[in-house]
Amino acid sequence: MDSGIFVYREEAAASGTGLLKGRTVSVQAGLSVAGWPAEAGSLALRGFKAIEDATVARRLREQGAVLVGSTRMSELGLGLRDDGAARAVTAGLADIAMMTDLVGEARLAAADAGIIGYRPSYGLVSRYGLFGLIPSMEAIGVLSRSAADIAAVMAAVAGRDEKDFSMPEEPVPGFLDGAGQPRIRTLGWIRESVAFLERQERQAFLLALEGLAKAGLTLVETSLEEFELFRAVHQVIGSVEASSAAGKYDGVRFGYRSPAAKNWNEMYLKTRGEIFGPLVKPYLFQGAYYQFMKYGAFEKACRLRSHLIRELQRLFGQADALALPALRAGFDPREAGSVSALYDAFLFTLPASVAGLPAVCFPWDDGDPAGCRAIQLVGPRLGDAGLLALAGQAVTNKTKES
Amino acid sequence: MQYEAIVGLEIHVELNCLTKMFCDCPNRPGDEPNRNTCPVCLWLPGALPRFSREALEKAALACLALNCEIQKRSAFDQKVYYYPDLPKGYQLSQAHHPLARGGWLDIADEKGAPKRLRIRHIHMEEDVAKLIHELEGRTPVSLVDFNRAGAPLIEIVTEPDVRSPHEAMEFIRNLRTQIRYVGSSECSMETGTMRVDANISIREQGSSAMNTKVEVKNMNSIRHLGDAIAYEIERQKASLASGEAIVLHTRLWDPEKGVTLPMRGKFEGPCVPDPSVPEIVVTGEWIARMRALLPEMPALKAARFQRDYDLPRELASSLAGDRELSDYFEAVSRESVPPRTAAHWILTQYLPALKERQLSIAASPVTPGRFADVLRRLEADEINAASAREVLARLFDTDESPDAVIERGGFRQVSDAASLESLVEQVLGAHPTAMGDYRSGQAKALGFLIGQVMQASSGKANPKRVREILLSKLA
Ligand SMILES: [Zn+2]
Repeated sequence: MDSGIFVYREEAAASGTGLLKGRTVSVQAGLSVAGWPAEAGSLALRGFKAIEDATVARRLREQGAVLVGSTRMSELGLGLRDDGAARAVTAGLADIAMMTDLVGEARLAAADAGIIGYRPSYGLVSRYGLFGLIPSMEAIGVLSRSAADIAAVMAAVAGRDEKDFSMPEEPVPGFLDGAGQPRIRTLGWIRESVAFLERQERQAFLLALEGLAKAGLTLVETSLEEFELFRAVHQVIGSVEASSAAGKYDGVRFGYRSPAAKNWNEMYLKTRGEIFGPLVKPYLFQGAYYQFMKYGAFEKACRLRSHLIRELQRLFGQADALALPALRAGFDPREAGSVSALYDAFLFTLPASVAGLPAVCFPWDDGDPAGCRAIQLVGPRLGDAGLLALAGQAVTNKTKES
Repeated sequence: MQYEAIVGLEIHVELNCLTKMFCDCPNRPGDEPNRNTCPVCLWLPGALPRFSREALEKAALACLALNCEIQKRSAFDQKVYYYPDLPKGYQLSQAHHPLARGGWLDIADEKGAPKRLRIRHIHMEEDVAKLIHELEGRTPVSLVDFNRAGAPLIEIVTEPDVRSPHEAMEFIRNLRTQIRYVGSSECSMETGTMRVDANISIREQGSSAMNTKVEVKNMNSIRHLGDAIAYEIERQKASLASGEAIVLHTRLWDPEKGVTLPMRGKFEGPCVPDPSVPEIVVTGEWIARMRALLPEMPALKAARFQRDYDLPRELASSLAGDRELSDYFEAVSRESVPPRTAAHWILTQYLPALKERQLSIAASPVTPGRFADVLRRLEADEINAASAREVLARLFDTDESPDAVIERGGFRQVSDAASLESLVEQVLGAHPTAMGDYRSGQAKALGFLIGQVMQASSGKANPKRVREILLSKLA
C-alpha cells in the first residue's frame, strides 16, 4: 500500500454490474462514502467519518464501480500540494479518480501526470456529500487515462438529485451515444490568454493547437479583452464563499477541539485559530476581509463574473470550443503553497471555474521535450460529451502516431 | 421641550410548519434535546440545504394576511457571524431580496381613531440552536440543543410609524390575529413563537428628523412590549434633558425591575448571497393560488357579522378576531339560536369556561350542537339563565345530552301557576316587612322578594312568572 496516495483503502470491495462493471474508482477523502474516514486533509475534520454516501458515490456503485479507497488531498481540496488522486491512476491503483476541482485541481493534476482530467458543467453532478469549499465554483472532476471511462462515469453520475437543490432542470448530455452533442468543428483560442505565456511557450502551445487541428478542426483566433479579470473575480468570490463554507468548522460537533481554552467562547475562537493550514487560513482571511471590510469589491466581482460569462458565450458564437493552455512553465501547481502562487499556477483553469463551464485537459506530446505537455479545452454549458469525445480522439490519434 | 417617539418594530414569527426550513426534521424545538437533527441542520460537511415548500407557503400566507406584496423573485443570503448556536457560521436569511414588501395593518389609536401602520418588508430566515449554560458539579459547561436550528421563521419589519406604546401593542395584537387566522403561527410572545424587538428614538414634536435609535429586546408579552417602550421613551427624554447624547446600542428589557439595560454589543456581520439555495421564483398564478387559500379575514368577517347577524360592533369584532371562535358562533347560530343570544353566551360563558379548563374549542366536549340545545331550552323558557349556566358547566364533564342533564338535574323551570303561587305565598308570609316596604314605594324590595322565591324553588322557578305573580299579589 502506498501511503502517499491513499488515506484509506477498502480491501473487501467487489464489483457489481452496470456501465462501470469492473472499473476501480478512487475518491478523495472529502467525498462521503458511508463509514469511511473523511478528514478532507484538514485538522478541522480530525477523526471524522462519513455518515452517508455522497450521491456520486452511490451512483458509481449502482453502475458496478469498485470504490477502492480515498486518496490524500490538500486541505479542503484547495491546491495540489498533498494530492494523491492522479497518482492513484498513474500507479495503476485505480482506473478512475474522482477529485474536486475548485481552481482547476482535477485538470492540472491530470495535465501534470500525463492523463485526462475533466471538470463537468456546473450543476450537472450533484454536490451532495462533497465537503465543498467554494459552492458556486466547485465541481467533482474525473481523472483517467481513458476518455471513454470518464464518459461512462458521467453517464452514471450526472443528472438531477433531489438532495442538491442548486441543480437546474436540464437535459443530461448523451455521454454514451453523443445525443444532442454536435461535433466540435471550430476551435477558438484567446489572444489575451496566450499573452500570459513566454514567447517559446506560446509558440509551443499554438503549434500543439495546429497539430490538434489536423484531425479536421478549424482554428479561430478570438479576443476576450478582460481575460486577466478571471483571476481577481475567482479570488474575491472564491475566498468569500470559502470563508462562509469553512464557518462550519468550529470544534463544536466534530473534529479537532483546542484543549487550551478556559470557556466555551475561548474554545470556539482558539479552535478556529488552530485548525486551518498555511494555504487555507490566509485564503479564509482574504474572504473575511472582502466580506467584512470590502463588501463593495465582492459585489463588483459578482457583476464582473456575469460580464465574463457573457463574454465567453459570445466567443462560443465564433467557435464550438475554446482551447486554453494548462500548465505554465515556472509555475508548478504541486508546489503552490501561497494564495498568489496558487492563482499564478492555475491561471488558465480559472475561466471554466468562474463560468461553470465544462473543461478537459489531455496530454500532448510533440516529441519536443520543451513542447506543450497538455491542452485544455473549454466547452459551452452542457457541451461536456463533445469535449470528452474530442479529447479521447486526440489522445487516440497521438497514441497511433507514436 | 415636547418630544414625540418614533418606533419601528421587528417581529420574528416562528412558522408552525411540520418540518424545518431546509431539511425534513420535525419542527418541534421542545422535544428531547438534539432529537430532531440530521446532517443538514447539524450542518455536517457534505450536507446541502433543501428549501421547504411548506415554509414558503406558510410564509406567503402570512405576508398576504399583512397586506404585503409577494415578490416574484426572492433569495437567501448568509448572515455571517460566529457563535456556537450557529452550526455553519452564518444564518440563512433574506437580507437583500425579501419575500414580500409594502404591507400595512389598521389599528385604533389612543382616541379610537383609525390609523394605518406600514410594513416595510417580510423576509424568511432560519432559527438558530439553543445554548444552555449550566454547572456539572462545579465545572461550568455549555450545551447546544440543535432541535431549533433551522426552524422556519419570518421577520416582519415595520416602517417607523408607531408613536406610542399603545400603538405598538395594538399593532402586535392585530398582527397576531391576522397571522393566526391564516394558520401560519400561534404568535405567542409568552411561549416564544413570536419575538418583538422595538427600535426607539425620540425627536422634537413637529420635527421630521430621524434621530439615533436604540433597540430594545427581550419582552415576553404584549404588555411588557408596551411597558418597555414607555420606559425607553422616558429614559431617552431624561438623557437628553441631562445633556447626554443618545448612542446607537441594544438594550434588554428586565421584566422584574421594569427597566431596560444595555447589553454587550453583538458583532453584526455582512450578508453575502448564498450560493447553495437557489433563487426563489414564484409566478403570478402561484400568488393568486395562495391568495385564494386565504380565509375571510377578521375585518371583513366582523362587518358581515354586524350586517347579517345584527350584532353590535364590539361583539362582532370579538367573535371575528378568532377563527375557531367565529366558526363556533356561526355553527351555534345555524341551530336556530338567535345570533345575539349565541354571541353573548359564547363570549361571557363558553369562553371563560374553556379558559378555566384550559381547553381549546376543538378539544371541547361542548360541541356547537350541544351548546345550541341548551340555549334553545333557555329561549323557550324551559330553563332559566342560572340553570343554563349550570347545565353548560356539567356538559364539560359528561357525554349525556343536554336534555338528559336538564332532566336528571331537575333544572326544568317551575312555570305552573299553582306551584309558583304557593311559593310566593310562603315567601310573602315570611317577609311582611319587605312587603310593607314595597307597598310604601321602595321598588328594591321587589327584587329581594323575587330572590327569596327563587331560593325557595332551588333556583328552578321561572323568574318572569314569579315577578308577574308577586306584582299581582302586592297590587
Ligand atoms: Zn435536519
